Amino acid sequence: MQRPSSNTPGLTLEQLDQDGAIQEGISELYGSTRADFLRKAVLGGGALIAALSVPPEVKAAAASDVRIFQFGLNFEYLQSSFYTETDRLGTIDAMAPRKAHWARTLGAHERAHVAIIKKVLGPAAGKRPFFNFRGNTETEDRFTRTAVAMEDLTTALLTGLTPKLQDQGLAAAAFSLMTVEARHAAWARHLVGVVPVASAFDEPKSLDRVDRIVAGTRFISTLRPRTTTSGDPRFTG
Amino acid sequence: MSDVKPPAEDGGLEVNVVEAVASRSHLLKRATVAGGGVVVGGLLVAGLPKVAASAPSRAQDVRILNYLLRLEYVMTAFYETAAAEGQLSGEIEQFVSVVGEQERKHVALLQEILGRDADPEPAVDFGDRTNPDRVAETAHTLEETASAAYIGQGANLTKGVMIDAARITSVEARHAAWIADILQRHPAPAAADPAKSPKQVVVAVRKLGISISG
Repeated sequence: MQRPSSNTPGLTLEQLDQDGAIQEGISELYGSTRADFLRKAVLGGGALIAALSVPPEVKAAAASDVRIFQFGLNFEYLQSSFYTETDRLGTIDAMAPRKAHWARTLGAHERAHVAIIKKVLGPAAGKRPFFNFRGNTETEDRFTRTAVAMEDLTTALLTGLTPKLQDQGLAAAAFSLMTVEARHAAWARHLVGVVPVASAFDEPKSLDRVDRIVAGTRFISTLRPRTTTSGDPRFTG
Repeated sequence: MSDVKPPAEDGGLEVNVVEAVASRSHLLKRATVAGGGVVVGGLLVAGLPKVAASAPSRAQDVRILNYLLRLEYVMTAFYETAAAEGQLSGEIEQFVSVVGEQERKHVALLQEILGRDADPEPAVDFGDRTNPDRVAETAHTLEETASAAYIGQGANLTKGVMIDAARITSVEARHAAWIADILQRHPAPAAADPAKSPKQVVVAVRKLGISISG
């Protein structure tokens, strides 16, 4: 991983989206209202709708289910911010059309996943952490390598977490998200000329293991809420 | 979320189609298999639960796993037949070889979990679907269907078995994305993948003209 430069700015989606570009993008893809977007995002995924349309379910769900979805949300925040920042910096504009289509689709999906999981968690949803992608959003090569690693890691995470969910409806919803991450990973690998399916079975990774890997990237500056504030000025544009 | 309505039970239109097809019994043969399950159209095990709709049990695991095993048998046989007919080249040849081997491993794992409850391999007639110019397109439908079938039943399994189902499900989705990209179709068409009910799976396979018996 690239050594961070001490003055590399941190970005948040809220800061990036001051002009509403992301919401616009979501509207283009999924329709003008949030409800409409959600409805289209699940595209007949009965499992997901079942999980979403019964809000008390998550309130009544085991504390471990809530923790799993909270971790999942942080991971989706990480991914969506990564793709959004790459787009915002113009890195995707410089790509060949087929590759740009891939990068933008992944961004749109990860943003949709954030919305879906936030909806599932309701008031238990955490805030978006601050991120510092340490230059990996700035060139096509570094972006692509990071994306391949990230999508494979998400697949391993969801493969490991889904069977741990106590609530059957939430587990069904997680299956619907897991396959999308697996598609992203395979698509990414195919684009870079690597066999998209390395093995007959995806090996699950535990939440703790993924937590350590993500911590190692130092992409998330506040994975868990901090009581002290950073002295670094925040990047605003 | 009050304005988000659940879809028609069990998937809507396509199910009505299969009900119509199913009522013509000469088209969909029924057979009783291991564990007392009833197989319709060579694939559908009657009495499988809807998504997240039934308490997991070993008996239910057997029915679900046999349904998934049958899909894996069909895919394994498809890739074996396509490879044996030869004339494949380039990336399709690689896809058939890599994926065929992986489907064989899925069969082996499901057989191992099921033990004596595992259904035997059915006879499958692929018609002209293993012709070299139809292999990629057929593989795409089969992989999309398999992925959606696992999504539809995965959460109905007991926890220990669900882990293995999850490890296979993501691989079926990778297969679907790979072959879609080869065909220049969309490798990831939705933010959340819809499930297919067993009936919808039977319809998708029948539309290919593939017939399964036993």
